[in-house]
Amino acid sequence: MVTIEERLRVEEFLFKEARLADESRYSEWEALAEDDMHYWVPAEAGQDPDDGRISILNDNRTRLATRIRQLNTGVRHAQVPPSRMCRIISNVEIETIADGEYFVRSNVILYEYRIQADKEMEVWPARVEHKLRMRDGEMKMFSKHILLLNSEGPVRGLSFII
Amino acid sequence: MLDNSRPSEGIRFEELILDDRVHSTLYTDSEVFEAEMDSIFRNGWVFICHDSEIPKAGDFVRRNVGRDPVFAVRGRDGEISVIVNRCAHRGNIICQEERGNAKAFVCQYHGWAYDTKGGLVDVPYPAGFKGDFSCHGLERLAKVDSYQGFVFASFNPTVPSLGDHLGRATELIDRAVEMSPVGRINLSGGWVRHQLNCNWKMLPENDTDGYHVNFVHPSFAQAIRSNYDEAVLQDEESLKSEAKDWGNGHTELNFSPSYSRPLEWFGCAEDRYPSYSKALREAYGQEKGDKILLDGPPHAVIFPNLFLGEMNIVRFEPVAPGVCLHIHTPMYLEGVDDDVNQRILRQSEGALGPTAFLLADDSVIAERTQLALAGKGGWLDLSRGAEREVTDDNGVVVGHLTDETSNRGFWRHYKQVMQGPDQSSPTAAAAAA
Repeated sequence: MVTIEERLRVEEFLFKEARLADESRYSEWEALAEDDMHYWVPAEAGQDPDDGRISILNDNRTRLATRIRQLNTGVRHAQVPPSRMCRIISNVEIETIADGEYFVRSNVILYEYRIQADKEMEVWPARVEHKLRMRDGEMKMFSKHILLLNSEGPVRGLSFII
Repeated sequence: MLDNSRPSEGIRFEELILDDRVHSTLYTDSEVFEAEMDSIFRNGWVFICHDSEIPKAGDFVRRNVGRDPVFAVRGRDGEISVIVNRCAHRGNIICQEERGNAKAFVCQYHGWAYDTKGGLVDVPYPAGFKGDFSCHGLERLAKVDSYQGFVFASFNPTVPSLGDHLGRATELIDRAVEMSPVGRINLSGGWVRHQLNCNWKMLPENDTDGYHVNFVHPSFAQAIRSNYDEAVLQDEESLKSEAKDWGNGHTELNFSPSYSRPLEWFGCAEDRYPSYSKALREAYGQEKGDKILLDGPPHAVIFPNLFLGEMNIVRFEPVAPGVCLHIHTPMYLEGVDDDVNQRILRQSEGALGPTAFLLADDSVIAERTQLALAGKGGWLDLSRGAEREVTDDNGVVVGHLTDETSNRGFWRHYKQVMQGPDQSSPTAAAAAA
């Protein structure tokens, strides 16, 4: 059981992370990720990241840096202009993994206005699992797994930070 | 559909497809789409699966042929059947799981049971059943054949042989499987289903278009150093890669002439995977092994729905005139160390699918193209490089990487298929019977 204060710190992190992603502030979002970050969108329910099955997205820290570098070029057509987004976070449950480390489950509904292409509204409901770490007085993430409800597809283009 | 005419009868394809241009209604018109479902996806050969996906008796996978739901299943005799996924009684989906293993398929509506050949073997409350078991089996696709484990099928019992359809392009499939020292690939990595709101024909066209790379993928080029720097991102005079038309709608971007080092296509040096290089040379001999290591895998479309996407295998699936799926899996190799297949998997996730460094940009451009073709539309140009392409000794048309040789080849075959050699369509005839 975490303290009220710990819960506030965790929720504050989730909301900030969501806002930076919603606003496509790529480098500020990336600064929240630790060196051992795993950013993952599996393609099947119940998938193990190491079982040889393909994922929709499976970034270690190096590949995540490449992804952010590509978005920051300003010529990533799929995000020019960036999707306009708004994510609602709920059902936050927090477990302590170790001293200052937390496993956080939440439900997220992301609304995406695809302004760069067909100007449609896309909705991305997902169960999200974060692993967070308090380091030097700041909360950081070292894992974010996004379990899309429709992971088996079909899945539309997903070039923003989810 | 009780009209026994071909759906395409009213469409004048000869006026919509010229040597140097095609009309946009081919991407937007619902009658054209219906005609394609019939002439291309029911009457011709369509890629279904690879036999490594269903290695054991009873193994099955679900697929669509055009829009028709089917499943491929391996029988006890080892043969693969492709069966329409629709109960012969009241039309329920018979095979509900995407993949798995079954001894029999039992309909969850009224309990009719079928064997792995689609034969009806049991009905509940049999006293009331006055039909003939042999006449109430599931509909099977008339033709199933395979090449190097790639399974193709057709609804058309009089379709010319798969060998006729593949023609010279068997060489492309050979090149894909010969990336393995034992000549076997393995599609056990699962599929990602990426939806694009564009016409399905933009997928084979774009996947063998060598002209767009500088413009659609500048963010990739700026963010990542890759083998594509040499293969596709040079200036016009320096580019050594080629666009090829292999006939029958099969097309290729041949990057091999751009590579000067073994495994350059894999984005690494040869000493990164020494046992892989050694195994290839031992299996195929020094000369051919060297060539495989230098040339790399094919980047080629097998008409109409298979893309040999280097170390990926892709299926194209039409959904509606303005909606299609690009469905990919890593092309795992048999007879190699796990770290080679691990790299193939990571590269597959990087290049293809909704989040990919490459395809996410292709998909947004394709969706904008579809928007631009709305309404009355107009002509799309295909003339680039027609005067400088050459036909090689094998009859393959070869053009500069940036020329529309490949897409002209696609459309030449498409036109021939859609116009049809005769007016009798078995599908339409069956519907009218």
